[in-house]
Amino acid sequence: MSTKDYDGPILEIENLSISFFTRLREIPAVMDFSCTVQPGEAMGLVGESGCGKSTVALAVMRDLGKNGRIVGGTIKFKGRDLTTMSEEELRDIRGSEIAMIYQEPMASLNPAMKIGKQLMEVPMIHEGVSKEEAYDRALEVVTDVRLPDPERILKSYPHQLSGGQQQRIVIAMALMSKPSLLILDEPTTALDVTVEAAVVDLVKDLGKKYGTSMLFISHNLGLVLEVCNRLCVMYSGEAVETGSIKDVFDKMQHPYTQALFRSIPLPGADKNARPLVAIPGNFPLPHERPNGCNFGPRCDYFQAGRCDASEIPMFPVEGHDRHDTRCLKVAEIDWNAPLVASKTTEKAPVGDVVLKMDDLRKYYEVSANALFGGSTKVVKANETLSFEAHEGETLAIVGESGCGKSTFAKVLMGLETATSGQILLHNHEIQSTPIQDRSTETVSSVQMVFQNPFDTLNPSMTVGRQIIRALEIFGQGNSDDERRDRMLELLDLVKLPRAFAERMPRQLSGGQKQRVGIARAFAGGAKIVVADEPVSALDVSVQAAVTDLLMEIQRENKTTLLFISHDLSIVRYLSDRVMVMYLGHVVELGSTDQVFAPPYHPYTEALLSAVPIADTHVEKKRIVLEGDIPSAMNPPPGCPFQTRCRWKSKVPGGLCDKEVPPFRTLADGHQVKCHLSDEVLGSMEPVIKIAAE
Amino acid sequence: MQDLGWSGILVGILKNFLPVWISLVVLFAVSIRYKRRLGLYGKLFDSPIAMIGFALVMFWVFTAIFADLIVTHDPLAQISQMKNKLPGTVQPDGANWYLLGGDHLGRDVFSRVVEGSRIVVQIAPLATLFAFMVGISLGLPAGYYGGRLDTFLSFLANLILAFPVILLFYLLVTPEIVETGMPQYMALVLFLFPIAFLMVLVNSRYYVVPEFRTKVLLVIAVVGGYLYLSLVGEVGTKVAVLPNALDIIHVPGNILIVFVSVVFVNSPTVFRIIRGIVLDIKTRDYVSAAQTRGERPWYIMLWEILPNARGPLIVDFCLRIGYTTILLGTLGFFGLGLSPESPDWGSTINAGRKLLTIAPHPAIVPALALMSLVLGLNLLADGLREESLRD
Repeated sequence: MSTKDYDGPILEIENLSISFFTRLREIPAVMDFSCTVQPGEAMGLVGESGCGKSTVALAVMRDLGKNGRIVGGTIKFKGRDLTTMSEEELRDIRGSEIAMIYQEPMASLNPAMKIGKQLMEVPMIHEGVSKEEAYDRALEVVTDVRLPDPERILKSYPHQLSGGQQQRIVIAMALMSKPSLLILDEPTTALDVTVEAAVVDLVKDLGKKYGTSMLFISHNLGLVLEVCNRLCVMYSGEAVETGSIKDVFDKMQHPYTQALFRSIPLPGADKNARPLVAIPGNFPLPHERPNGCNFGPRCDYFQAGRCDASEIPMFPVEGHDRHDTRCLKVAEIDWNAPLVASKTTEKAPVGDVVLKMDDLRKYYEVSANALFGGSTKVVKANETLSFEAHEGETLAIVGESGCGKSTFAKVLMGLETATSGQILLHNHEIQSTPIQDRSTETVSSVQMVFQNPFDTLNPSMTVGRQIIRALEIFGQGNSDDERRDRMLELLDLVKLPRAFAERMPRQLSGGQKQRVGIARAFAGGAKIVVADEPVSALDVSVQAAVTDLLMEIQRENKTTLLFISHDLSIVRYLSDRVMVMYLGHVVELGSTDQVFAPPYHPYTEALLSAVPIADTHVEKKRIVLEGDIPSAMNPPPGCPFQTRCRWKSKVPGGLCDKEVPPFRTLADGHQVKCHLSDEVLGSMEPVIKIAAE
Repeated sequence: MQDLGWSGILVGILKNFLPVWISLVVLFAVSIRYKRRLGLYGKLFDSPIAMIGFALVMFWVFTAIFADLIVTHDPLAQISQMKNKLPGTVQPDGANWYLLGGDHLGRDVFSRVVEGSRIVVQIAPLATLFAFMVGISLGLPAGYYGGRLDTFLSFLANLILAFPVILLFYLLVTPEIVETGMPQYMALVLFLFPIAFLMVLVNSRYYVVPEFRTKVLLVIAVVGGYLYLSLVGEVGTKVAVLPNALDIIHVPGNILIVFVSVVFVNSPTVFRIIRGIVLDIKTRDYVSAAQTRGERPWYIMLWEILPNARGPLIVDFCLRIGYTTILLGTLGFFGLGLSPESPDWGSTINAGRKLLTIAPHPAIVPALALMSLVLGLNLLADGLREESLRD
């Protein structure tokens, strides 16, 4: 039977249940999951980590590994049940009719094989076409994924391409055999925002062009809004709400979906007037799920005796197209009730300057050959960095990978010394004092919160011990008992139960680990905290809680927060001032309002446009940057951004190619590094518009 | 009394190992009962491979412990009528059997193999432990600091690895070289590492609590220093620090040489493993966190990095005891180091080799013993690796 001319739904999953079997117990990963993907439709699967969304995708590929097993339900692909297919039949379908794109592009490509060969393999194996035809097809798809110079790309090895280019190749490979279904498992998580925007754009266009159905897995509601027609929200192994994008985003019918939207910083949220609402409690472990509604224990509308009585089926929502929800009280809850701000807080007064950077530069010398010297190259990681940070202020440092924000943090912390320029901490120069020569007071007053929660704690030391260690190093407390008490207080401060002191880091969730990291940073009464993407690796519902915690501690201690991030939504929500960096240069600096409204620096404009926003009312101007971020080893001459700038033609005389623009003051405290004339800057339109309701 | 048949021999052997069987059963029963609470050790009992390996290893460990109960004869006693007699032969006075026959000097092969396990079980793990101490102490800074230090130490390690091991041993045991005190000087350096290692370990963590730190360091210095001097020094040799009355550990010169050689050739490999792991772990955020709170390098190396490198190290430790066991056998086989009387397996195999065509058993029995122990260690290492990856 040919499946190529089938016209029913591409994928029908009915009451699918998947379990993993460990030596201790059976762990149900997905329960009673149903969804249908029609031809040409893009279905989004959204949920926090551990909710089972990737497991569903793997089940469709029938690639659950040794421990996983489908314990109930059916997965029908074009009417044929995948769950009962033999390995042989599956091999036929995988790669040719169902293709999958994974998160890590480098891991999906064979590093020892040229791109062209890898691409040509697909039709040669599945359709037995000739080498020449396969090559032509490969050339065609590589052109389709908008890679420059396709013939050269086909001749290169994966490591010669950048992350964004690699992911495009993976997409090209998936499209080689013109599959009917494309599964994308967080395809852009490993990429920078501007690159992500371009890849998402590409996926959308290709989906239209080839008529491919898509199963798009993401934790990012904004991305799903941009790519998909329909979505399915998952929580703890179950689909809790499914429907069209418009219905679910605007007329949500499940408390979890509602809570999810309230915990992400949308335009209009404000840390003082309209704070984010974190979902209380924690995600239940798969073997500790409650009776009845899985979301019950964390739900505002929970009713004992009813919500926890028995398993809850999916209910269709009246009057909507294929909109289902797994909530008993859907008819009783007033979904339009405005959010009552739980607490509004006063904005903390901004005090004196505590940190001042003046013309800071950090260059690295990289020699081509370590043993025999050879020609040395200078990598300019930071160029002419100048800014001030005040007491109690949040200064956001925004930029993509390679922009120099981590180098800057290292220099500030004293892990590296500056090449030139000044860092004044309370009027002491510290730029050339490495950390071992700094006084305990200096070290404890500048601390850092790290990005990856799974890496921030030593896995073989108890949580309490790690905090006590920080106290010991910072000379806090006179005896072990005193330090122990102080440690327990710190756990209270970050709202963790005191019993956690005895736990090992692996027993904690990501958010809890991040809280311990924060407690550790504040152990010595830090005055300046550098937070390096502290929430970007966390789930959205936890992000809000951790962000709020940071804000609260900041208000109490009048800490200066240097918040490094690439996520402009969260930056807009919590920062007072924003500094945008690109390739080691500060390209824009100003208050949050100034930076988020025109006139923009062209890079800021593109960055703003790239950030996906999970709000159907927001209209964004699409600005897709061409190409990738240049390497810091080999920066372009003149303005660092000139290679990707869409305003470059507005500057007369090719000035952008020749000279690094000066830092110009546009308004009080708003500075931009750009050659564009005032008129051109003034003619810029806002990128984000909130449509009237 | 009659000579025993094969079944009789088997029963006799099994009966003599009774204390070992009892210990093994007790150990396994207790371990399996509480395996969920015993961490990685408990996980061993989920894998049949690891269990077989562990049983083989523990068999020889218990044999070494209960050797005095198991042996049927004095391993050094010679009965001239029993020369090269087959397994199961009755003694001339009819009192007992030579369960596994007699060797070329009329000694009981069974008792010698049992007694020989003592030497292996004592020296191999200890020598491996010392090799690890040296390898870790040098590998940590090489990986952590990198640069010149790394280049220099890696070069040194490669130099030692490139030197033919057997030739090195021959050199070390040559009487002229022993006369110069060379092996003892090497022991002087190599045995210093464990003490230095312990002191740095304690100091790096507890320098923030000076009183406690000083007390512990003093204890280590006194106890460790005494053991050290007692171990390396021997009255009448080049290095004789302590008078005979105070010198409690008498290591025969030959054993010391074996020990030193084994540590010397094993540590470069350990060094390279450690260096590789450190290069990976030092990029983790918790290492950066330690750096940004101003921790000293040795604290980061010993308390932040080393504990998290333990998985591969434990596995390698097991494998390396196996290599060391083989190395000890090789040394014994070449007649290097240990006295010709010694019942260790390598020497016994060598002695039996000459009469292999007439009476193979004096060589085969210790060879099988050696093989089973090394096999056990390898299986155990495999099991550990498998189980530490699963959860």
